[in-house]
Amino acid sequence: MAEPASPGQTGTGQSAAQPAISVRGLRKSFGRKDAVAGIDLDIGRGSLAGLVGPNGAGKTTSLSMMTGLLRPDMGTVLINGVSVWADPAAAKAVIGVVPAEVRLFERLSGQELLEYAGRLRGLAAGEARQRAGQLLDVLDLKDDAKRLVADYSTGMRKKAALGCALIHNPQVLFLDEPLEGVDPVSADVIRRLLKRFADSGSTVLFSSHVMELVEQVCDHVSIIAAGRIVVTGTMEEVRAGKTLQQAFIDLVGARGTGGEGLSWLGSSSS
Amino acid sequence: MARVLVQLKLRLLLGALRASNGARVAFILSSTLALFVAIGTFAGLAALRHNGAAVDLTAVVYTLFALGWVILPLVAFGLDGTLDPATLALYPLRTRPLIIGLLAASATGAWPLASLVGSLGITVGLAHGALAVLIAVIAAVLQVLFCITLARFVTTALAGLMRSRRGRDLAALAIIPIFALYEVFAQVLPRAIGKHELTAASFAGVDSWVRWLPPGLAAHAVQDASTGHAGTAALRLLLAAAVTVVLGWLWARALSRALVTADASTQTATIKGGALPFGRRGGLSGTIAARSLAYQRRDPTFMAYLGITVVLMAVVSISSLRGSHPEVGVLLSAGIGGASVGMQRGDAFGLDGPAFYLDALSLSGRRALRSWFAGQNAAVAAITVPLILVIPFVLAVISRHPVNGLLAMALGLAATGAGLGIADLFSAALPYPMERRAGSPLPRQAEGFTMQALAARFGGLIATAILVIPVIVAIADTGSVADSVRIPALIAGGAVYGALLAWAGIALGAAVADGKLPELFQLAARSKL
Repeated sequence: MAEPASPGQTGTGQSAAQPAISVRGLRKSFGRKDAVAGIDLDIGRGSLAGLVGPNGAGKTTSLSMMTGLLRPDMGTVLINGVSVWADPAAAKAVIGVVPAEVRLFERLSGQELLEYAGRLRGLAAGEARQRAGQLLDVLDLKDDAKRLVADYSTGMRKKAALGCALIHNPQVLFLDEPLEGVDPVSADVIRRLLKRFADSGSTVLFSSHVMELVEQVCDHVSIIAAGRIVVTGTMEEVRAGKTLQQAFIDLVGARGTGGEGLSWLGSSSS
Repeated sequence: MARVLVQLKLRLLLGALRASNGARVAFILSSTLALFVAIGTFAGLAALRHNGAAVDLTAVVYTLFALGWVILPLVAFGLDGTLDPATLALYPLRTRPLIIGLLAASATGAWPLASLVGSLGITVGLAHGALAVLIAVIAAVLQVLFCITLARFVTTALAGLMRSRRGRDLAALAIIPIFALYEVFAQVLPRAIGKHELTAASFAGVDSWVRWLPPGLAAHAVQDASTGHAGTAALRLLLAAAVTVVLGWLWARALSRALVTADASTQTATIKGGALPFGRRGGLSGTIAARSLAYQRRDPTFMAYLGITVVLMAVVSISSLRGSHPEVGVLLSAGIGGASVGMQRGDAFGLDGPAFYLDALSLSGRRALRSWFAGQNAAVAAITVPLILVIPFVLAVISRHPVNGLLAMALGLAATGAGLGIADLFSAALPYPMERRAGSPLPRQAEGFTMQALAARFGGLIATAILVIPVIVAIADTGSVADSVRIPALIAGGAVYGALLAWAGIALGAAVADGKLPELFQLAARSKL
């Protein structure tokens, strides 16, 4: 069983190098509600890490603060040793982000959107165009490259957003619920791309509440509940011989009564 | 079924009223407006008694009502839950009871009642004698039934399209003719009537074709009954009723189809080229400008903004063009054009919405923000400046004083620069999320941000007006200088002054936005576009 998260802890066993993502004392409150109540987290380089937790646990808030999109009340975030909040320009240059609700520039075509993302990241026009084409190809969006993003399905949007996040070849990739609302074929495309990306030495941190997915692809997992990291470690450490689903339920606690009050429900009743 | 659907409509309305203050205010405004329309139409139609063109005018008014019934539900698609067949598609309903139920639901509400009360004005205006009054009552009821059936048929036939992206785009663009019509009724017609350029006689004979449409048939039936041609009157009413029944049958067919089919036109829509313009040059500004330019051309919001600007520019000047000071109207047109661009662009981050995360992840520092604002301004200017130069010039040519159009160019350039500059400053200083609500084709400020939006818009208008005073003074004070010197100097001066103001706005906007990108993004992310 992995230990509860503590400052300085690294989960992947690659602590010889500086962690790719290092979070200390990260806090955010909205009014009286502590959305993130002080989290510490280290993700080693080359790791494919999952951040799992129930709805409202603080996953999106945490990822937004780690990527410079939401100002924390307290705490530090280092990406490859660069502070996101002290030197945002340097930190932003090495990260790619796929937000949970993928709302993109809908009046651009897929090709234009990826090119736009590349140009924003300082790629030369020709390079941006070439990489956009290659990414659209790998993401299975080539046939839809000239269609407006407004006419894309959820899965296509997620893939387009992933293309935007990868076009500048970031060292660290953050994804918030990358497979939410994505069909199995697109999900497989995304999963394989993430694996390939992490295998090349880059780091991926993604949030999800689909345990099977995290179990399949991640080598490191952190469980977050009520704004705190409950446990963090390698997959084997966190699972401790059980399935991740069971470990998660044991740690976070099952909720609800299982519907004992719905005696009328089902074909055996009339 | 009729009772269930009427109850559904009332419950939906009550639910909306309980949910938000905005809905309550909108309901009170809409009901008050309906009351005014009912009383105004009734009084207007009644006042036509003894008027030579009474039947022509009544036919025109009835036809306009029918047009209103067709257009408004399309713009307000999504506002009335019972309008969209998709909401009913899951229930095991037969078409005939569904049609009757939907008809009953459509006839429930302030506006159908207002239409009926207003249409009954015909009993006073056109009907002479008891039989004619009876025919008039039937004609008024038939007119309202025709309006409702026509509206339902059109909405149902277009429901698949209206649910699609392309349909919503078209609905947003419909705001331009509606705004133009409103301006014509609110500004142009009252002035024309005041100057006796438009009288009842202007409408004589206008119904030569309108009379064969159901609204015209209804009006002429009453006229026939009043002049002792009861048979012809009955025939006309029968014809109008037959058309309504045929429409009802078409609606039933459209409804059965709409319940099981979806619009697929956007599934195959592609854009030409496919690569981002300004591909080779322009750096960050060029990249932002390329994206913004694509939006100017493809997003109906911006097309609608542009259309509204054009209508405003024409309307403010039209009445003075034939007067003794046509230059005032032409200059006002240019000034309003520039100010309106500024007012519409005064929330750049909110208009970008959640997609701004892409920019927020890449921008850092004041210099990048200056490029961001400059790129946005360049794209807006590329589309609007030609219009702001050409429209006042055309108006000046119409008023036979083309020189005024050239002078207006100086003011237009300065006003556009001022408008864009102020918009950048307000975008950074007073950002607010925008949202596109059902029933509103253009995005508006999210609930809770009304004061901020009003401050930004009117602040922009007032600030632009103040900033262009030097140009107006320069135009007024140089009347004695030869045109060959005066006009080029004023245009160049206006252009330089406008560019300086725009640049100052970019610099100030970037300075204010610097360091608060996460906060700007969080506001933009709350936009629902």
